Amino acid sequence: MPDVTARKDVQTLPTVEGDLWAEFRQVERLTLSLTQTYTHTLGKYSRFFIELENRRFMATHCETCDQVYAPPRPLCPQCLKPTVWLELSGTGTLKTFSVLHFSPGSNADVRSLATPYIFAYVLLDGASTLFPHLLRAPLEQVKSGMRVQVAYGDSPVEHPIHLMYFVPAE
Amino acid sequence: MTRLPVIAGVGMTRFAADRPDCNPRDLLAEAVLALLADTGMPDLKSVQHGLCSYESDHFNRQMTLAAILHDQIGLLPTPTVRVEGGGATGALALRTAWAYVQSGLCDSILVYGCETNGRGVSSQTANQLFALSADFDWEMMIGGTYTGFYAAMMRAHMEQYGTTPEQFAHVAVRNRRNAGFNPLAQKPMDITIEDVLASRPVAEPYRLLDCSLLSDGAAVILLATEEWARTNIPRFHNRPPVYFSATGCGTDTMRLGDRYPHITHFRAKRAAAQQAYQMASITDPLDQIDVAELYDSYSGVEIQAVEDLGFVPEGTGGVNVASGLFDLGGQLPVNTSGGLLGRGAPVGATGIAQAIEIALQLWGEADPRRQVAGARRGLTDTHAGIATISVVNIFERRD
Repeated sequence: MPDVTARKDVQTLPTVEGDLWAEFRQVERLTLSLTQTYTHTLGKYSRFFIELENRRFMATHCETCDQVYAPPRPLCPQCLKPTVWLELSGTGTLKTFSVLHFSPGSNADVRSLATPYIFAYVLLDGASTLFPHLLRAPLEQVKSGMRVQVAYGDSPVEHPIHLMYFVPAE
Repeated sequence: MTRLPVIAGVGMTRFAADRPDCNPRDLLAEAVLALLADTGMPDLKSVQHGLCSYESDHFNRQMTLAAILHDQIGLLPTPTVRVEGGGATGALALRTAWAYVQSGLCDSILVYGCETNGRGVSSQTANQLFALSADFDWEMMIGGTYTGFYAAMMRAHMEQYGTTPEQFAHVAVRNRRNAGFNPLAQKPMDITIEDVLASRPVAEPYRLLDCSLLSDGAAVILLATEEWARTNIPRFHNRPPVYFSATGCGTDTMRLGDRYPHITHFRAKRAAAQQAYQMASITDPLDQIDVAELYDSYSGVEIQAVEDLGFVPEGTGGVNVASGLFDLGGQLPVNTSGGLLGRGAPVGATGIAQAIEIALQLWGEADPRRQVAGARRGLTDTHAGIATISVVNIFERRD
């Protein structure tokens, strides 16, 4: 059963000239909180997240098409053959980014972020696609084309994607 | 006789930030009563098929709305189907209905869309729900938002082509001004480019006034063969026939990063436009289209759209938008309704409302302050995600 709590708000809206809905101007509203909890599988992405705990950054490689997918794809969309895991160094180049002043609070990790934060798209060395993640750097230093690298965190996280983030390259 | 559908009638609510007196079925009732007034039909008993257009079970707090809404407007026991395609839902619904009529499955089909995206949902909940339409583990869980994805695209466009915040602010100003000429628009505003640039940053380079609206609303379009419309719609003879003449649809990766190195433009939109132009025998869209409703989810997205739709060459959208080419009185007025920025965007109704604006323009029934004189062919551009699904529909007056 969902956890449902309700608070009532009753009002009578003004009727207008020739109001078609004059019979229906009493309005009641509730504050409802519906909580959903899932056992969420990371599926065939799982090894990426498991290896983050070992401070290793994994991509997948399609040996037929020679594409390196980061984030990983278990199935190459070009040839529809399963890929193989491939470790990348974790260094790369910032290609574009946005400075977010409003956090969606998607999970406990995101709710703990201070705004503004930098949502970055990084071309990891050896990868064919851009990897999205947070870039922790002084705003004035952030420029498209800058070199960055993966950093690994030690604090407990709700979602293991937060075991990593990007920082300016040393 | 052609089975190409005509627009047999239209109806919509005013779009609003908050309708405390309406759940989705109440909103749809208003839109359908507007359709009855528009067509002169006493009820919908002659309509053969329904097609339900809504995006989110979460926003509407109801699943299987197709059956519930079908009952609400007296269409039981005729068939119905739900179509969902994110932000493109309304346009995809119309495209699907086009195929239902063309196939001979039915001669008339009511496309009904509604959504409660307004203040019944807190902005944080709204962002979380919209983030569910991003990639859950790879974008949403990091704290990504659609404003952020679009903003990163726009930054790449700015860096590659020299597009400026002043240029996309032009869209934010113009579309909200156009909304002032549309009594059904949610939030007309008389603002300046300076106001846009001074509004608070949301996801840089986008600021608050670059962002479109969250809305409650409903919109319906009755599509039919011309023969059916002539027999069943009392007021059909009073108007020039407007055909739903062409449709295209394209797709792209959900994550922007997977599109690398093509991160400044909407590949799906280009594919959708090519299909629709081929079907409508359009070779020079800027010259051959008279009015268009573009998906201005963010101001800069309209600049990308005028390039992807082939109205102007790649990289020149900013300069051309700022020149007034797409303003009322310009060569190809766009978002005369106010667009998503000014008219509003209850998702399942948005694409339908865009098509209603084109129909009004082609019938010559828009408010004189926004009517495009002599408009005979119009286009709608609607997309999901960051153009993960893109739909282009074309309408033509033939009299």
